[in-house]
Amino acid sequence: MTTIQQVLFEMESDYMGHPYFLTGHALFNALARRVNGRVRRALNVSTGVFIPGEYGAYPESHSHDGYAGKLGMSLPPVEAYEDVFVFRDAAQRWLLDSRPRDAHNTHDIQSHGGRLAFAPATRFGQPPEHRNTKRTMHWYVHCYLHGDGGDEDILPLSEGVLDGLRVGGARNYGLGELSLTDTQGIDVDALDYSRVRSADELQIELLSPYVVQSEYPGADRQSVPWWWASDRQLRRRQTRLVAGDDAHEVATIDHGQVVAYAGDRPVETAKNGIQRVGTHAKYGFGELRLRPADADRVPERAQAEADQQGGES
Amino acid sequence: MVDGPALEADRSREDASTRAAPMVAVYRHDVHKLRHRRHSAAAESYAGVAVNETVPLHADRDAALLSRPRGEPEQTVANHWSPYRLSLLTGETAVETDRIQAAAGGGFRDLVTPDDPERLHARWLPSAVAGAYSESVHYPYTSLQYHTLLAAALLDAYRAGRAFEDLWLVATGSSLDDASTTDTATTRDPEAALAADEVEPHRTVCWTPDLALHVTATPGDSPAARLGDAPARSFADVWSRLPAHPIDTDGGRRWRLLDAQLRRIRSWSVALAYIDEFIELHGSAAERGDGA
Repeated sequence: MTTIQQVLFEMESDYMGHPYFLTGHALFNALARRVNGRVRRALNVSTGVFIPGEYGAYPESHSHDGYAGKLGMSLPPVEAYEDVFVFRDAAQRWLLDSRPRDAHNTHDIQSHGGRLAFAPATRFGQPPEHRNTKRTMHWYVHCYLHGDGGDEDILPLSEGVLDGLRVGGARNYGLGELSLTDTQGIDVDALDYSRVRSADELQIELLSPYVVQSEYPGADRQSVPWWWASDRQLRRRQTRLVAGDDAHEVATIDHGQVVAYAGDRPVETAKNGIQRVGTHAKYGFGELRLRPADADRVPERAQAEADQQGGES
Repeated sequence: MVDGPALEADRSREDASTRAAPMVAVYRHDVHKLRHRRHSAAAESYAGVAVNETVPLHADRDAALLSRPRGEPEQTVANHWSPYRLSLLTGETAVETDRIQAAAGGGFRDLVTPDDPERLHARWLPSAVAGAYSESVHYPYTSLQYHTLLAAALLDAYRAGRAFEDLWLVATGSSLDDASTTDTATTRDPEAALAADEVEPHRTVCWTPDLALHVTATPGDSPAARLGDAPARSFADVWSRLPAHPIDTDGGRRWRLLDAQLRRIRSWSVALAYIDEFIELHGSAAERGDGA
């Protein structure tokens, strides 16, 4: 039995860290000082994805369907493999069309003496003559934890350990504070993998960067896995792992890209993708999702093809 | 994909459907929005030229699908019922800028009167006046300026016999091109757009000092990502699949911030307007202090 612990935090103050997501390394460092040596050695942390606390509907592939209330403020039920990823996609496809979804899914940017930070809340409701309709939307952060094989019983981490973490820049000055909102355990082996198992062709979507080279002590150079098939060059990005006063350069294949799956054990790959592959998987690198190649990432495209007749604007 | 002879027939029929040349009509098709009128109540001419004509080959419909959901529109921002665009970057309405005075004073006449399609494109590309309007009062974060530029890019491709699925997003920016024209491009006006090397008539859909985006069926050697099989709100998906970073995400945190936001925005015209505003506020010209 492989258990992961999903954790949802609420952002309590401005955040001046990594803008794509909260790095697993930052989350790991914040947690590491609160746990004992055995937990620290076994603990694996994913990247933290920013989630707007907004009304939403379950995506089509989810094992539940329809309107889901304020989806970003709690952890949705997880029964199938696809359910793991509701919050792991930066485009947050569950947001409702009846609201300005792009306004809900972009951070307000605050300037601190010229340094730009993400605000923990977005206020809607200008202009001032309509004060009564002002409302505030809060931001959340989703991540998940697991233990190395043999040391899986380190989970779940307690509320006392998870609540009140501080991450990102200027955290000693009150920035980057997170409070615990929700947590749940998931047995990865017990999920329904039927969509992955029955697909003729699969694609791999990179949900976090994949490390190819790192100056971090003990990290080997890595090649792109043979089971990634791409006819074009993959976009690379330099990033850094900061450990104490030292910053280590890390070369990665950038997240967000999609390649064809050329392997032959999709369910196993799917499970590994949740627990991440490659070096620095412990810190959130190498997370990936398998998706049937005929299921478009953009559900509206399939709908558009089914419905070619539309009105002019 | 339409085959050759059928397309020829289709095109001549469609071309005859607009009084202005099709590549001119596409820049004039939404004048009623600039005049605060509904399509059904739109005048047929403005300033002596035919306006509000139906764009051939469904380019307008497809461009709309890139930025708005299909189906009957519903109001998405409860207390904003106005043709003026809301800024996703600042949350403010464009009403608070000088643009509205310019538009109210007939400032959009320049956007419709030329008969040269390339000049029309060059006027829409840097137009702050067009940027003050949304595509629809129901979707106030969308941009009429970028909707029109996208519609023109699609029409240009469709008229060349290309289908939507043949199209690519191409990004050119300072981190991809050492010989970038960044310094000269800080002046954004129609004459500069006509002269600029990085501007392709109709195909350039966003032009800023640090980053230009093009929609084309012939990406050449430039880093390009496919738009997908059918028009849909998909900007984040296409942007995050570009095979190279057009902006210096390795070197500058503000570029990572922009990149991160663009991985979340799905509506095309919202995203293009966001890029425009972000670079005006935080781009390299803003940093040097020699223009905003």
